[in-house]
Amino acid sequence: MSSSNIIKIIIALIIGIVLGLIYGWAIDPIEYVDVTPNILREDYRVDYVLMTAEAYQNDFDSDAAARRLAILGSESPATLTAAALQYATSNNFTETEIQSLQILLTAMQTYQPQGNNP
Amino acid sequence: MSRLKLNNSTFHIFFALLIGLGLGLAYSWFLSPVTYVDANPSILRPDFKDQYRIVIATSYQFTQDLARARARLNLLGDVDPIGALSAQAQRMLASGEPFEKVRPLAQLATDLQLGYVSNPITPTALPTSFNTPEVESTVEETEASPNVTEEAQATSVPTVFFEQTPLIPSFSETITPRPASTSTPAPGAPFALVGQEKVCDPSAPALMQFMFMDSRRREIPGVEIIVTWNQGEDKFFTGFKPELGNGYADFVMQADTIYNIRIVTGGSFVSNIFAPACTEPNGFSYLGGVMLTFQQP
Repeated sequence: MSSSNIIKIIIALIIGIVLGLIYGWAIDPIEYVDVTPNILREDYRVDYVLMTAEAYQNDFDSDAAARRLAILGSESPATLTAAALQYATSNNFTETEIQSLQILLTAMQTYQPQGNNP
Repeated sequence: MSRLKLNNSTFHIFFALLIGLGLGLAYSWFLSPVTYVDANPSILRPDFKDQYRIVIATSYQFTQDLARARARLNLLGDVDPIGALSAQAQRMLASGEPFEKVRPLAQLATDLQLGYVSNPITPTALPTSFNTPEVESTVEETEASPNVTEEAQATSVPTVFFEQTPLIPSFSETITPRPASTSTPAPGAPFALVGQEKVCDPSAPALMQFMFMDSRRREIPGVEIIVTWNQGEDKFFTGFKPELGNGYADFVMQADTIYNIRIVTGGSFVSNIFAPACTEPNGFSYLGGVMLTFQQP
């Protein structure tokens, strides 16, 4: 086999790989259908934290609020709430919403899981 | 001979192309697939969607913002958001969850169907132990731009800008406005049995059907009913079949069984309810049902 043929084969191989990558990443990528909330887009995450804050003002149940926030990832509830509060203040959320997040933040900063109580 | 060489060379090139395509697909699908980092709630796992609905409904209990709750539910991509709420409420009840946990779902489903806040509440005063927190000590407010992706900024759902849902819908014609002072039924007022009808339908089971209304004949969801008979007891609530009415509930009766009914809300009691016998004109007999209508005075 001549060297020109080998070069042609390598070029064909590279073209095939590139086409495969384009197809697999852009044209028909793997579709995720049962994802976990930790990969929600940031505005959805913040809205979820805000809902948790509003729900907290309905029942003042710190344990329930912490459990609801736990599905967003491994960060502590206070960290998640603080991040949401920062997003809210930066994106012109209403005073009521910011206040709800502040109240939840205070609760989460002082929250002790029931299992850790003496 | 040269034709054979050309064919052989073309075959090798084509074969290399195929191998490359296979390698590329294997890498992009299995070794390094596209990673989602900005997912939307519609592709959440079903159990997380359930959790999402609970938080939406509980949040709604506080905000009473029906438009916003509806918008949030739409994010989940349910074909029938009201049906999804009702189905989840029934699943939770069936799995033994307390009704207090299920009630927000039922209430939201009811209000979505009604189109207005059916049970407005007075905001609860905050506990005195929660003072206004000093955010500055816990949140870094730096000059740097917040940790927000461009996409999030460009397409973020402006939840801030939902308009508040009016507690009473603003009908422009034909419907008389409701006096605000009497819009909320007294939750603890006793119910009186105002109607008991035999229902004969050979295609339906022997149902004990309930309809609960307030003094203004508006259907009431969430009324707890306990049915007892000589071999057991069952507990259920109105409002879990919103397609049949928010104050509707039913129970399948058995033949030759006497049932007693206790309405937990208000403490009413009805005894000696049983499945009546129905007869078709051709002489065919079967068990019928009863329709019990309760109303607050």
